[in-house]
Amino acid sequence: MKKLMLGTAIAAGLATAAIGADDKVFVGHLVDYTGPTSFVGKYYGPGVADAVAYINANGGIDGTMIELESIDYAYKVPEAIAAYKKWRGKDMVAMQGWGTGDTEALISFVAKDEVPVWSASYSGHLTDPTGKNPNTKKPAPYNFFYGPSYSDACRALVQWARFDAKENGTKEPKFLHTGDNHPYPNAPKEACGEYAEELGFDVLTPVVVPLKPGDFKAQCLTIKNSGADYVFIGNLGGSVISLLKSCKTVGVDTTYMGNVWAGDYLTIKAAEAQNYVFPSASPFWDSEAEGMKLVKEIAAAAGTGTDEAPTHHYVRAICGTYYMKEAMEWAKANGGITGANIKKGMYERQDWVPEGLEGVCQPSTWTSEDHRGTMTVSINKGSFVDGEVVIEKVADTTLERRDDWLGY
Amino acid sequence: MGHVPNPRPSGDFRSTYADDNSLFPTRPAFYAMVAMVIAAIVIAPFLSEQLLFILISIGIYGIAALGLNVLVGVTGQISLGHSAFFGFGAFSSAYLSTNTGIPVLIAMPLAGLMTTAVGLIFGLPAARIKGLYLAIATLASQFILEDFFARAEWFTGGVYGSLADRPSLFGFILNTDLRYFYLVLFWTVVSYVAVSNLLRSRDGRALVAVRDHYLSAEIMGVNLTKYRVLSFGISSFFAGLGGALYAHYLEYVSVEGFTIILSISFLAMIIIGGLGSVAGSILGAAFIMVLPLVMETVASWAADIFPAMDAGKAYIKQMSIGAAIILFLIFEPEGLIHRWRLMRASWKLFPFST
Repeated sequence: MKKLMLGTAIAAGLATAAIGADDKVFVGHLVDYTGPTSFVGKYYGPGVADAVAYINANGGIDGTMIELESIDYAYKVPEAIAAYKKWRGKDMVAMQGWGTGDTEALISFVAKDEVPVWSASYSGHLTDPTGKNPNTKKPAPYNFFYGPSYSDACRALVQWARFDAKENGTKEPKFLHTGDNHPYPNAPKEACGEYAEELGFDVLTPVVVPLKPGDFKAQCLTIKNSGADYVFIGNLGGSVISLLKSCKTVGVDTTYMGNVWAGDYLTIKAAEAQNYVFPSASPFWDSEAEGMKLVKEIAAAAGTGTDEAPTHHYVRAICGTYYMKEAMEWAKANGGITGANIKKGMYERQDWVPEGLEGVCQPSTWTSEDHRGTMTVSINKGSFVDGEVVIEKVADTTLERRDDWLGY
Repeated sequence: MGHVPNPRPSGDFRSTYADDNSLFPTRPAFYAMVAMVIAAIVIAPFLSEQLLFILISIGIYGIAALGLNVLVGVTGQISLGHSAFFGFGAFSSAYLSTNTGIPVLIAMPLAGLMTTAVGLIFGLPAARIKGLYLAIATLASQFILEDFFARAEWFTGGVYGSLADRPSLFGFILNTDLRYFYLVLFWTVVSYVAVSNLLRSRDGRALVAVRDHYLSAEIMGVNLTKYRVLSFGISSFFAGLGGALYAHYLEYVSVEGFTIILSISFLAMIIIGGLGSVAGSILGAAFIMVLPLVMETVASWAADIFPAMDAGKAYIKQMSIGAAIILFLIFEPEGLIHRWRLMRASWKLFPFST
């Protein structure tokens, strides 16, 4: 009898193990740990991976495990497409994407295959799911991201700059966009320039600065001669550091405003920047916000951030992953975890903050006609003082949800 | 054998010009070729996705490498801009099939022709300069075209790239790798037969003459300018065709895919495969495609044996690829095709071979 019971127990155990092993969904994860955006990729990528590991360790999606495969595609679009096509054969239900070039290239693919994507690209081109705005190049029904779009973040910066210029008594401030001729720096170029003009800025001809670090004194001389008061930096990482250093040598006197990826304490430290303005959509590592407890638990479980503090990109990655998690939970309760159901799950909540991340992820709302999760942009100013990076928040701007800004 | 004007190895019993000109040296060689193609057709459905991907890539890069071999191996010119032509073909085919309504299957060879036109233009410097100077001139074509891809939004979609649909034949879409494999196989066979055929024609001999001794060729009445520029055109056609196949396989074309690194890879393919050899081009493409996979496996084994190496696995893989290429060039400078010929000779003379 004992033997029989033991046998049944083992059989039952095996059966549960088998179900447990079978009950999983596949999620593809594009990362850049070796390419031109690895400066921020090595924080965002682990953010997603750590969050998924933590979710799996704590019961998964109501019992369903997430099988995550990370591929380092070194920011090369063709490699990203190849990875996507490989994953398509594995019944991928969702994807954690990375760059603007690859995410925008994949818009039609993911729409056709019904695979929702949470990208680390916040390109405004990804925000119009139906193509309602005539300015939208391509409707992007399956693209999501957490945080303000590049265009909206830049608009908020421009708005702040307008205010700043008034305070300083600059009559007709000049605005200049810098960045590589590449989808990522190009994404906010037109949209932000238009808004700057609307606010009365003199918008100068954009200056092309390569995404790969180098000696940018020639570009800095152009910036200096243009007399720009506010310089928007569309690149990130090493390129920004090179630009700031070269411009310091040349003696450019201006206010730099970085894109969200161009601003973190590591960039400010390496460039020894002063009064460097950049947007953010989450608290920084040393914040006391309630939800940071979960963020730190996730990091501790994976052993991340033990020797140095992760940048805020890591925190944003966790937000992006948790929205996916909760949308999957809704999908599971409403017909099963499929791409189409997960997408529906994204529309279910208003002013949505993932559970446990209060104070970390901004309340966001996605609708079937508008994929701009949030219009709120935190604006920060960072300086390198006496070997320390000091970052202070200068404004919390909530932009108007204008229809003509949808999708670009 | 330098003292013999037309060296013939012993055992070569050809006695007529027609024999000399045959597409295949012997009947069995012809049968072997046909058998290989049939084998590929029959086996393909049983191959894994991964293997199909490798074979398709070998086919696509093999076609482009074949074009470069006509230019470098057969005519003795040099090009550091082959990947730009490959890219031009890719963008042309995507543009034609998306914007003009021309079916993809027709857009592909058309893209080859468009690339030929571009190749003829960029080949013009070859009429005047040669050697290292020509190399630098073709390097310019690489940069000019690459910049064109990034800026000509109407044609290429600019830095955002453009989409390229999978081809369809009377409503039958080639949307699986297996179906696409047959298309690539078709074009590979057509390309290889075409170039083999070219080499035994009057024009083909003229190209070889330009390579071997351009002064003698000119004295004999070969129009140097014409054949040099023509070889650029021919080479660009195959680059464009390969590029078009690549575009519709990936279903997306991006300017990032066609850098100078790819141009150098093409050169590596034909040098490793065998300069001037038709079959060598595809062997070289296979070598360059398969080597990273082999090295990956080797590095994994090594890491299993010496766990300390695990962290450096990716690095070891890259280094071994470089080392393998260097060793290959030292020990087999005449390419894979030479090794193959030696092997064949050794089987023929079996009991007496060393």
